[in-house]
Amino acid sequence: MLPYLLKRLALTLPTFFALMFLTFVAIRLVPGDPVEVRVGERGISPERLAQFRHDLGLDQPVWKQFADYVWGILHGDFGTSVVTNEKVMTEFFTLFPATVELSLFAMLFAITIGVPAGAFAAVRRGSWYDQTLMGLSVTGFSMPIFWWGLLLIMQVAVKWGLTPVGGRIDPIKFSFATPTGFMLIDSLLSGQAGAFKDAVRHLILPTIVLGTVPLAVIARMTRSSMLEVLSEDYVRTARAKGLSPARVFGLHALRNALIPVITVIGLSTGGLMAGAVLTETIFSWPGVGKWLIEAIGRRDYPALQGGVMLVSAVVILVNVAVDVLYGVINPRIRNG
Amino acid sequence: MASDTTIPVGLPSAPGITTLTAPPGGLSAFWASFRENRGAVLGLIILSIVVFAAVFADFIAPHSPLTQYRDAVKAPPMWDAEGSRRFILGTDALGRDMLSRIIYGARVSLFIGLMVMAVSFCVGVVLGLISAFSGAVVDTVISRVMDLIMSVPGLVLAILIVAVLGPSLTNTIVAVTVVFLPRYVRLVRASAMAELGKEYVTAARVVGVSTLYLMFITVLPNCLAPLIVQSALGVSEAILEAAALGFLGLGAQPPVPEWGAMLADAREFIRSNPWIVTLPGLAILITVVSINLMGDGLRDALDPKMQRS
Repeated sequence: MLPYLLKRLALTLPTFFALMFLTFVAIRLVPGDPVEVRVGERGISPERLAQFRHDLGLDQPVWKQFADYVWGILHGDFGTSVVTNEKVMTEFFTLFPATVELSLFAMLFAITIGVPAGAFAAVRRGSWYDQTLMGLSVTGFSMPIFWWGLLLIMQVAVKWGLTPVGGRIDPIKFSFATPTGFMLIDSLLSGQAGAFKDAVRHLILPTIVLGTVPLAVIARMTRSSMLEVLSEDYVRTARAKGLSPARVFGLHALRNALIPVITVIGLSTGGLMAGAVLTETIFSWPGVGKWLIEAIGRRDYPALQGGVMLVSAVVILVNVAVDVLYGVINPRIRNG
Repeated sequence: MASDTTIPVGLPSAPGITTLTAPPGGLSAFWASFRENRGAVLGLIILSIVVFAAVFADFIAPHSPLTQYRDAVKAPPMWDAEGSRRFILGTDALGRDMLSRIIYGARVSLFIGLMVMAVSFCVGVVLGLISAFSGAVVDTVISRVMDLIMSVPGLVLAILIVAVLGPSLTNTIVAVTVVFLPRYVRLVRASAMAELGKEYVTAARVVGVSTLYLMFITVLPNCLAPLIVQSALGVSEAILEAAALGFLGLGAQPPVPEWGAMLADAREFIRSNPWIVTLPGLAILITVVSINLMGDGLRDALDPKMQRS
């Protein structure tokens, strides 16, 4: 197992290097001088300007700047935000738990509903239920989630008043330290009455919005994978020897049908990060997605550069982890 | 298997797509298969309406999408108690007719979708074939670059590109095309590689056809079926992606009536004017669903290998 993991990790190195190159070049192409962005419209003496250029390393030749950039990243330095003067890495990891929390719950939502719904549709193939579910699945798959979020806010939060409109916790009622960055855990740790419940209420709508597309994909994938398994000989044998349908479908069929589904779940990480950008923007959820969009608005290019780098790194590493896990579940591909 | 039913290739008279991908009987066999899928037919009908609206927007739309009726700002739709026949779907915050903006929006969205599809299809075919036909070095370079693009989450990469190039309709198309390119390249490369091992390719080589002829006339037609399915689904994804960029303020810029951009500042009307929030998104959803339904039908009709889903 370990050699396989190391091999997969080694294979990501060229991608990481190319990613550094891509982000470096992209930010160079941005029209406008980063120094001018930093000093704004105000007039500034040539000496101060030269000082700024020197501080940002902009008086160096381009190859040296790239080398410094790579060297910095290898040492965990992803640059400094020109707006807040914070390390990009620090900002990212302060906000990252919020995105992870949201993504985990969205995925959990998608799996707990999608897998049983899809499996049941396969068992009742062609039925009214099956057709409805597939219709819903196409709709979910086609959903512009930023609009879906606005609709839910309009109906559930504003009209019915069931959930808050946005954010992670009510800042007026509750205030506590966030040692883990995961609001559900922190609210429990705080010991403040009702804090946990409030955090859950804030999580509901964003979870549904971010989980909708994965839910549609998982339901559809489970159904088609289950249909395939149901026509296998061992399922027929299991039925023939008189096992109860629940045992046949649940134990024999579903377990094998889930293998491709797990791949799909793993491959959705990239989509989740993209969806998080939209979901966080709609719900004012203080995660890395909203932060990236705000970085563009503030012309904070180092933050954008480092942010894209870090988001992609997370996606690449998760994909490696999924690959390795897949090998654990399905020994046939372990030595592939 | 698709290869069993194809006409012998390498003949100078390159046959059209339909005769290649379906058994003899071509178009009618394809239509018979497509028609079986009720969802696909429904998708085709709805999409035809959307396309009709986009093409004839100048004649259908009751108002100009840009005219601001200052006397009727945020007028509710017709069915509302305060609504009037003058603005069937109401007006937006600047007094522009919603219905007209949505009709013209169909033009913008379909244009984006088709442009992205056309460019990534052409570039994807060329790069994919080069990758499959050339040596290890070129193949590795192209494949690695595609891997790199795919390692950045689609929307995040599009955002980065637009942030660099500046937000506009053209740059939206560029950004979304770059994001979707790897799928086409990989698909063409994989199916071309599979075809390369087959006897008819060897036969064509023995006959002595040029590499270009081999690439585009001999091999490419046999890779088209999955590519057409991917293109159809690619249009809907491109529309969604472009709308998302528009929503974030990074796509088409005002006053272009783009559906996503129409939702960009809709948030403030959630409480007071729900139709401004609801309608543009509904237009996106309906269009994307109809294209996806149709794409499923195309897949069933064209690509027997993927029929099970």
